[in-house]
Amino acid sequence: MAKISIDPITRLEGHGKIEIFLNDAGEVENTYLQIPELRGFEKFCEGRPVEELPRIVTRLCGVCPEAHHIASVKATDAVYHVDPPPAAKKLRELFYCAHMAHSHIAHFYALAAPDFVLGPMSDPAQRNILGLVAKVGLQIGGEVIKHRAYAQHIQAVIGGKATHPVCGIPGGMSKAITEEERKDFEEKAKSLVEFSKYSLKLFNDLVLSNKEYVSLITGDIYTMKSYYMGLVDANNKVNFYDGTLRLVDPDGKEVVKFKASEYLDYIAEHVEPWTYMKFPFLKKVGWKGFTEGKDSGVYRVSPLARLNAADGMATPLAQEEYDRMYKTLGGKPVHATLAFHWARLIELVYASERLLELCRDKEITSPNVRTIPTATPDEGVGVVEAPRGVLIHHYKTDSKGMVKMVNMIVATAHNYPAMNMSINKAAKGLIKKGQPATEGLLNMVEMAFRAYDPCMACATHNLPGQMPLEVTIRNSRGEIVQQLSR
Amino acid sequence: MKTLVLGLGNPILSDDSVGCRVAAALKERINSPDIDIHEASVAGLDFLDVLTGYDRVIIIDAIQTKKGQPGKIYRLGPEILAETRHAGTPHDVNLATALELGRKLKLHLPEIISIFAIEVEDVTSFSEDCTPAVAKAIPECVEMVVEELQKPT
Repeated sequence: MAKISIDPITRLEGHGKIEIFLNDAGEVENTYLQIPELRGFEKFCEGRPVEELPRIVTRLCGVCPEAHHIASVKATDAVYHVDPPPAAKKLRELFYCAHMAHSHIAHFYALAAPDFVLGPMSDPAQRNILGLVAKVGLQIGGEVIKHRAYAQHIQAVIGGKATHPVCGIPGGMSKAITEEERKDFEEKAKSLVEFSKYSLKLFNDLVLSNKEYVSLITGDIYTMKSYYMGLVDANNKVNFYDGTLRLVDPDGKEVVKFKASEYLDYIAEHVEPWTYMKFPFLKKVGWKGFTEGKDSGVYRVSPLARLNAADGMATPLAQEEYDRMYKTLGGKPVHATLAFHWARLIELVYASERLLELCRDKEITSPNVRTIPTATPDEGVGVVEAPRGVLIHHYKTDSKGMVKMVNMIVATAHNYPAMNMSINKAAKGLIKKGQPATEGLLNMVEMAFRAYDPCMACATHNLPGQMPLEVTIRNSRGEIVQQLSR
Repeated sequence: MKTLVLGLGNPILSDDSVGCRVAAALKERINSPDIDIHEASVAGLDFLDVLTGYDRVIIIDAIQTKKGQPGKIYRLGPEILAETRHAGTPHDVNLATALELGRKLKLHLPEIISIFAIEVEDVTSFSEDCTPAVAKAIPECVEMVVEELQKPT
């Protein structure tokens, strides 16, 4: 049959766009990151029973349906004023640690590592997981696939479905796990702990032992001084599932700890004419534009933000690695955006260790996983740490539990101001007048953006490659000088 | 020979759901122990979990092209995936990369890949309905897949 040529074979609306404007002298004048927005989700939810939302929100995003599910079910707990039994909370956390491990493995091996293992300026045809496997060895590819499958299996068994979980209900979980399942999870968790250690060793050998990479990570173009926000437990240790939101300033000092339900007292949103997406900022510091430092209300969420906002990790191996990272990078807080990758691996260790702890918890197979709600539903906020940062769901219902209002702040939204600034800084540092902006240089600009593991409200699309990113360079007259799509 | 019919998309994002809808309709039509029909919203490396163990896969998905006519159905081969192999995604690898990795790791992956892509109009509004032209293409695409399944391989 005739070959159909489609140009561009992609979703026109689905692009993330980085626009780089040059001035008359040919230097970078300004940069803009635009993220496509899906429309009408709040309206779609209105009038539906609130207990349906945990299942609906998994369709918001193909990358982290589990994070939305858990944030949502926690919001419905709050709407119904119900406290799930301890076994239900532990089971949710176990499920959630598996999700973190799954997501962090994908990001590191598929997206972060190729830039370092192959080199940021290397041939893009090689600069991917295939090139990584070719260089490091086929065995590593097998380990990546195996451990992702382990984490996926745990999520599917607890979640009730392979990708879009249905397990969480207001007041707890729809089913408990059996002893047989627990044993199986425990074996998988043990293997994940080993794999997470191996991943850090790989990072050590391939990245940290290379002076050039260390200076790239700590260098100015990838550094941004901001506030950091993350969930912490009662001991101020990182927790993905529950706790208090803690905010630290660019010097690493605690500014405030607050409950998720108080988020509107601390976070406000700034609007810019060139994008539909809003820019969250710290209300008490104020919006001072896209500027760094203590006087600017720009804050970040992310693996590194979590580590910066906490006093440490709640498991032993992760704590050792936490100490080592801060020692190596000159103390807390670390402002190096590329260190997000390192933090992500430390979190992979924590997620795996915590997973194993929960698998060994005597209560984890308890059949008591639900508290039946009895109060009249009204309003509630749920929060989790999504792999890429703080995720907040806020619902209001009528007295019958029908949804009247939905508000969400996803990690990529929290980071939207910071991502713009990181791109700007990298572009100004890398693109110089009179020098051609090569693919490698643009990749290095993109690295500033990819470190955030941005999730662009994507519609779980696959044909052919979902949500491409387009980088466009324009001259002072707005004409396109160069364009790079991937 | 084990065949997987895979409808891709987001079931509540207007036309993006079209692949899932075709798969759902096919479930009513096809009843064979050698053919599995799934609706999925998976990406990247997760594809390997879904595709492993099958000899043939028929993928049904939404597509948007420049000046495309909503409702038009394209029958595409696996070469279309290779053309976009290096299309990066913010969080994961694309299908072609995942397949190549899987093959290198000697996973049992489908040798025969065919794709039915339906030109869509609205993939950014949350709705349980497709736009009219796209809704009309669903039965047509169902017939095309049924025919494809009856072809000798």
